[in-house]
Amino acid sequence: MRTKKRMDFLLLGFVLLVLTPGLMFSAGVKQSAPTGKASGPVEVVFWHSSSGLAGEAMTNLVGRFNTTIGTEQNIVVKEVFQGKAADVATKLRASLQAERPQDLPDLAQLDATGVMDVRDSTYLVTISSLAGMDPAYDLSRLEPGALLSITYKGQLIGMPFNASTIVFYYNKDAFEEVGLDPDKPPRTLSELASYAGKLLKKSADGKTVLRYGFAGVPTTYELVSWIGQQNGVSYLTDKANGHDGNPTRVVFDTEGTMARFLSEWRRVWQSGGLGNLTADVRQEFAAGRVAMYAASTSGLSTLLSSVGDRFKVGVGYLPRVDEASKGGVNIGGGALFAFANGNDLGKSATWEFLKFLMNAQSQFEWHKSTGYFPVNLDTYGLPEFKVHLQENPLFEVAINQLRDSDPRVQSVWWPNSYQAYYEIQNRIIEMLEKNASVDQTVESLAAVLNKYMADFNRMNKE
Amino acid sequence: MPGRIRLRQALKPYAYFIPALLVAYLFSYRPFLKTLANSVSLVNYSGRILEFVGLENYRGLFADKNFQTSLINTFRFTALFVPIDVVFCLVCALLVYRKRRFNALNETLFILPMAVAMTSAAIAFRALFNPTIGVINHLLGIQIQWFNDPAWAMTTIVVLSVWMALGFDFLLLLAALRSVPRQLVESAQLEGAGRGSIFLRIQLPLISPTLLFIVTTRIRDGMLLSGPVLVMTEGGPFRSTQTLIYQMYIEGFKSGNYSMGSAISVVVFVLTFTMILLAFRIERKGVFYQ
Amino acid sequence: MMNRRFAFDTAKLIVATVIGLVVVFPLYYIFAGAFYKIGEFTAYPPTLFPDSFQLGNFIRALRDTLLIRFMGNSLLVASVGSVLRMTIAVLCAFPMAFLRFKGKNLLFFLVLGTMMLPSDALIIENYLTISRLGLVDTYFAIISIYLLAPVQMFMLRQAFKTIPQTYREAAAIDGCGDFRFLTLIVLPMAKPIVLTLTLQSFVTIWNTYLWPLLVTNDPAMRTVQVGITMLGFAESLDYGPTFAAIALILLPSLSIFLIFRKKIVEGIAAGAIVG
Repeated sequence: MRTKKRMDFLLLGFVLLVLTPGLMFSAGVKQSAPTGKASGPVEVVFWHSSSGLAGEAMTNLVGRFNTTIGTEQNIVVKEVFQGKAADVATKLRASLQAERPQDLPDLAQLDATGVMDVRDSTYLVTISSLAGMDPAYDLSRLEPGALLSITYKGQLIGMPFNASTIVFYYNKDAFEEVGLDPDKPPRTLSELASYAGKLLKKSADGKTVLRYGFAGVPTTYELVSWIGQQNGVSYLTDKANGHDGNPTRVVFDTEGTMARFLSEWRRVWQSGGLGNLTADVRQEFAAGRVAMYAASTSGLSTLLSSVGDRFKVGVGYLPRVDEASKGGVNIGGGALFAFANGNDLGKSATWEFLKFLMNAQSQFEWHKSTGYFPVNLDTYGLPEFKVHLQENPLFEVAINQLRDSDPRVQSVWWPNSYQAYYEIQNRIIEMLEKNASVDQTVESLAAVLNKYMADFNRMNKE
Repeated sequence: MPGRIRLRQALKPYAYFIPALLVAYLFSYRPFLKTLANSVSLVNYSGRILEFVGLENYRGLFADKNFQTSLINTFRFTALFVPIDVVFCLVCALLVYRKRRFNALNETLFILPMAVAMTSAAIAFRALFNPTIGVINHLLGIQIQWFNDPAWAMTTIVVLSVWMALGFDFLLLLAALRSVPRQLVESAQLEGAGRGSIFLRIQLPLISPTLLFIVTTRIRDGMLLSGPVLVMTEGGPFRSTQTLIYQMYIEGFKSGNYSMGSAISVVVFVLTFTMILLAFRIERKGVFYQ
Repeated sequence: MMNRRFAFDTAKLIVATVIGLVVVFPLYYIFAGAFYKIGEFTAYPPTLFPDSFQLGNFIRALRDTLLIRFMGNSLLVASVGSVLRMTIAVLCAFPMAFLRFKGKNLLFFLVLGTMMLPSDALIIENYLTISRLGLVDTYFAIISIYLLAPVQMFMLRQAFKTIPQTYREAAAIDGCGDFRFLTLIVLPMAKPIVLTLTLQSFVTIWNTYLWPLLVTNDPAMRTVQVGITMLGFAESLDYGPTFAAIALILLPSLSIFLIFRKKIVEGIAAGAIVG
């Protein structure tokens, strides 16, 4: 009896083992259906990194394309959420390295760090070339700063879809509480220093900070604006922040821009109101434990929903380094990149979808649910957009700040962006907490960043 | 043909290893050899080897301040994680190893963390450790900026890691304690030995092989720590939780510097290997086998 | 005497229960949080018990992701993967415990040595292998790097060693070959540990994150771990849908541990490393 049972068990195991290879090697759904035939619809595979509110907005846009233009022109866009922007970049890099273009999507959403992974790839199909094949399409109706932000060696390599800038957030109730005008956010870093000192709140015994005036440790993201806005327009590195080719060295040391910024930043620290926080700053702000911080406009919708009616949120221009720094802020965020993957030859279906995403109405919807800028200038002329701005004046501040900025202020494309991110933070903290001199800090920062670039260029000759 | 049969008989034991060796070659040794080759070469952004540079990458690595930080952090984590894990699991096991009423319930409570995925646990711990809305600060009545204070961030990683390791290590120790022969303990009790001396003189020596096993595997886990760092702190604040494997990930994956990334991998391998060898040396001397 | 002993046991029980409750608290928090509305997460002082058992978070979690499909994928991958993994480990452990042959130690260290090669460090090379074999987006790709379990092989060997050699000799006299000896005698005798390690493998594979994320591009091929990161709501302090999703994917693995607890404890006992 028992032996029989055992034999059954064995048999089952054996059958399972024999069956598995077939099961295991078959993909669940065939991804790239053969195209080119007139019969089935052309499938456009679109990898994106929008989750939460932005993810819902993305799903709505794709759905609307598929039921309208897609149905007319026999195109089906298949959206695939691929994790955070960094995950999309990692997956792309992996496919590119394995030289398996068939694993690439038709379209992918990447942020500034991901640009490094694709900009020199032979599989990249530039937007310049796609737009060139469609003479009816007018690229000049798109935000010039946004286009420049994704231009590499004179070519538009991606479509600036989710464009954002840094903006200044403050707690209006806290301003009133300490006698500051809630409609006048600080204009310069020296004003920021004095505001931060006033807004600082400590427990009775003076040991615990109940509220920081300002929180954050500047790094690449803040510095491209705070360095970029000086002397007309400035860059962190040569080759225009890497937009004209691989950067070889920093220029913030010889141009004196970093020293200028650091001396102003030390004053903010000396006010006592600066919290060197790097995590959960938005959450701390929403909880009322940080009175001012600087972050992307893209967080505005989310911020407002998490603050609720606890206090009034104010939005202002990013404080300038000093009165003379008039360059404003750069456009960051993300862009869409097209790839030659053997599917949708000529990328005409992909281009149709791109045009849909960039049209005035789509850009309006995207802006409304995320806080990213409308990149299409025609969006600003839509009557419903004007109504929307009246109802949400905070968005207008961000748009005005963008209008007042020099479009040549650019994000930086350099290798080792993760390392640079930490190096800048660490050396600023060292300067503040261990009281190192400004010159020393600039020098050591330049040395380490230059070494990263030299190492990279040695391994990757253009 | 007896010769052929004998040959077949002689080869038979090796046949059992074929699947394992195939997998070991394909997914462990081959990629490791490639990593080794990368670590002594210049490798470009797309992963292609350009030229042989000898030990240059290693020299660069040991001169790198960030690498020293990673090294210290990794040792710091291992030095905290392994003893805390072992002691905590041992205490839990000692508390419930006798089959009494309710002990089954506690046994269940201790092994449940085993069922939780690291990503899920990390999301929950991030919420629990949140300085403002988190339950931990609130219940303990403290004000610690867990993820902003370089002095505390590592603690969150250690707590998460111990929590993740708890179930399995507890079970191993529980089984080991239960397999200590009753008569040994009882006769010692009759001779008037106290609980402490019974533990030190009878139970501890008998469970020492299990302890060694746990210490060895957990040293390895400590030296290879990356997941919780990736999900909870991303190495921050100010690199205070940056471990060796996390730095490898940043260099190799995120910065496209495969030479450095590979060199770090090799260093991690050598360190782990040495520490495990040391553990086995101790085994020969101090571990008691029945 | 009796009383002192009773008092000691009670004290032990109380301490154990307190520790036990602390240990499961994060689990409780996940399940409670799955019912929180956004305000309950941001409330100060923090909420410890949900206002109401509203199902909004579960609905959002299920609507925004293919959670059911993900769970199906994970179930398939984890069950087939753990069976294959155990098969390979058993095949290695058996000759290690029973057979005598040249190079045994070398083979032992070759297999056990893989435990020291950081899989995180090898992940990109492994991806290239999978990709060049054209296996991206297959179930095999997801389990491939988990097929070898050196630690489990080691534990199986320990368990097999407790089976007296004489059994094998007796079996051989009865004309029972090695493979039949393994399947008919060794495996049934080592059933508890085999079961336990299979379960542990199941949980390990069920829980992996980075690798499945890398080797699957098609959402229909994703596992649950990748799925929960799709709920990016945590950014806005609205952990609700994320916690609801975590609670849902926890149910299968938690039930396994609750149902098989006794078997797992027995199994580990059988494989205990006590010389």
